[in-house]
Amino acid sequence: MLRWLAKRIIAAALVVFVVTSLVFVVTHIFTDPATVSLPLEASQEDRASRRASLGLDRPLSVQYWDFLSGLVVGDLGESFFQTQPASKLVFERLPATLRLVAGATAVTVLMAAPMGMLAAWWERRFADHAVLGFSMASISAPPFWIGYLLIIVFAVQLGWVPTFGSSGFKSLILPSFAIGLASAGRLAQMTRRGIVEELRKPYAVTAMSRGFSRSYTIVHHTFRNVASGFVTMTGWEVTRMFTGYTVVIEVVFSWPGVGRLAVEAINDRDLILVQAAVVVLATMVVLTNLLVDIARRLIDPRVDLA
Amino acid sequence: MSATGGDGRTERLLEVKDLTVGFPTRDGTVLGVDGLTLNVGSHERLGVVGESGSGKSVMGLAILGMVLPPGRIMGGSVRWKGENVLDEAVANRVRGREIAMIFQDPMVSLNPLKTVGAQLRELLQRRVGLQGSAIKQRSLELLDMVGIANPGDRLKSYAFELSGGMRQRVMIATALACDPTLLIADEPTTGLDVTIQDQILTLLHNLSTELGVSVLMITHDLGVVAQFCDRVQVMYAGRIVERAPIAQMFADPQHPYSLGLLQSVPRVDQAAAELAGIPGEPLDRAQFPPGCAFEPRCGEAHDTCRGAPPPLVKIAERRWVACYNRPGEAGETST
Repeated sequence: MLRWLAKRIIAAALVVFVVTSLVFVVTHIFTDPATVSLPLEASQEDRASRRASLGLDRPLSVQYWDFLSGLVVGDLGESFFQTQPASKLVFERLPATLRLVAGATAVTVLMAAPMGMLAAWWERRFADHAVLGFSMASISAPPFWIGYLLIIVFAVQLGWVPTFGSSGFKSLILPSFAIGLASAGRLAQMTRRGIVEELRKPYAVTAMSRGFSRSYTIVHHTFRNVASGFVTMTGWEVTRMFTGYTVVIEVVFSWPGVGRLAVEAINDRDLILVQAAVVVLATMVVLTNLLVDIARRLIDPRVDLA
Repeated sequence: MSATGGDGRTERLLEVKDLTVGFPTRDGTVLGVDGLTLNVGSHERLGVVGESGSGKSVMGLAILGMVLPPGRIMGGSVRWKGENVLDEAVANRVRGREIAMIFQDPMVSLNPLKTVGAQLRELLQRRVGLQGSAIKQRSLELLDMVGIANPGDRLKSYAFELSGGMRQRVMIATALACDPTLLIADEPTTGLDVTIQDQILTLLHNLSTELGVSVLMITHDLGVVAQFCDRVQVMYAGRIVERAPIAQMFADPQHPYSLGLLQSVPRVDQAAAELAGIPGEPLDRAQFPPGCAFEPRCGEAHDTCRGAPPPLVKIAERRWVACYNRPGEAGETST
């Protein structure tokens, strides 16, 4: 297990290395941070001096080496616009994003697992159709719209929670649901399908033929067998939260996270800051996948140790 | 009236009468089991033989009141020692404890994510009510009973770590965990190596004798029936077409389908004899003829056969046939 874990961690580090290198390639070869950061009418001289001040006139290999050695010590360059280290700006915002993703993941898992089991238990009955209806609705609605809807109902009309910002647990509720509802809808359907499929498998039929009830068989036999897929899909949802949903929802709720920082950086044409945000979010994605691998290994003894 | 066993020594345990299981399809309801009647006595080994699609496996589960959706039990009765198994409360009591079932594919019939020990433990704890060290002791005893070496180590094994024969032995151990009176074995040796098949059959035979457990053996394999059973019922298209003690079935099959089945079995003791098949295809279940289901493939069919399905009638002591060409004794239709 330890050897396997060490291998997985090394593999994850490699992925981070490749992803960050790709980010470097995009920002330094396909675009020019200096030109992007200057007004369109800037003169050649302005550009050249900006290039020199940013060290962009040096050979690419030297810049790449600088970028990598900076990465190791957490230096992601300096934001042109805010004239602060990009890493400091991103890491200041990271806890808020992590809180949001944790909240949304909790909503996702705590809704999807029971709904999926309930729908499978009452297959083709009212509860099943109700869960399907919820899933279809939550999946088809864009997260920003769900966000606005939640704000209007629960913050403006009912006044239960703040309309925006990050101040304590209460403010976390609406954005977590805005992100988590669609994920829960997708995952509930997957769970339901998985359990219904598993219930037809001989081991489940055997369990029921030994006198175990349908509900016992769902909870103690089939859910275990869909758990591996459940964890994998949850991982995918978390990945999509980091790279997409949080960005939108942080803007809608004025949530001070990395996603909103990235949007601001794009508006400011602050390529170095965008790059830093992407590197950090990509690292989060890789870490998520690592956690998923570990969880699957713990659930299913058959997962390859290689 | 005596038990169907006929000799009066056996107590009647399981009585299935006119059991009908239907599956809705686009072309209307298809009957997986059609008016099935069957009895199993104590200390009896009854075989049910038929080709694939004849409704054998559906029958096995339906006896426990179970049908995989969207199928459902449409009529008939299943009585266990006089109690109605189709009543959910009775079924919950009977399943596993009185009637235990083992299935065709031991590869997938054990939970892949639970150890052998865990699967035995949940049965012994929840269905038998054992506690503490008694659970482990009984688990070891059960594994030992089914001929598993080093039972202590095997308790910690997952199904994927066992061979096919071992898995079927574990399946049998889980079936015996609650001391059932009847074991329904649905193709228990299909998919196993021939030598392992023989070992499993011998094991089942010995266990049923030692523990006094009756066995309902569901199989397509006449060899298994010959080796294992006291009595056999031949099933075709969801109906029983013939019922006879084992020796008589092999010596003197009455129904044209039984005859065909026997002729299609290769025999090493009859050299050079050409292997006969049954002409035609197994029925498409959606296109039942209104009369005898075997009529389209039968060499002896005539007009009467196309009218209505022939009833199962008694033609001699302990012998029943459903065929218009084998008229039975007056007034004796299926029990």
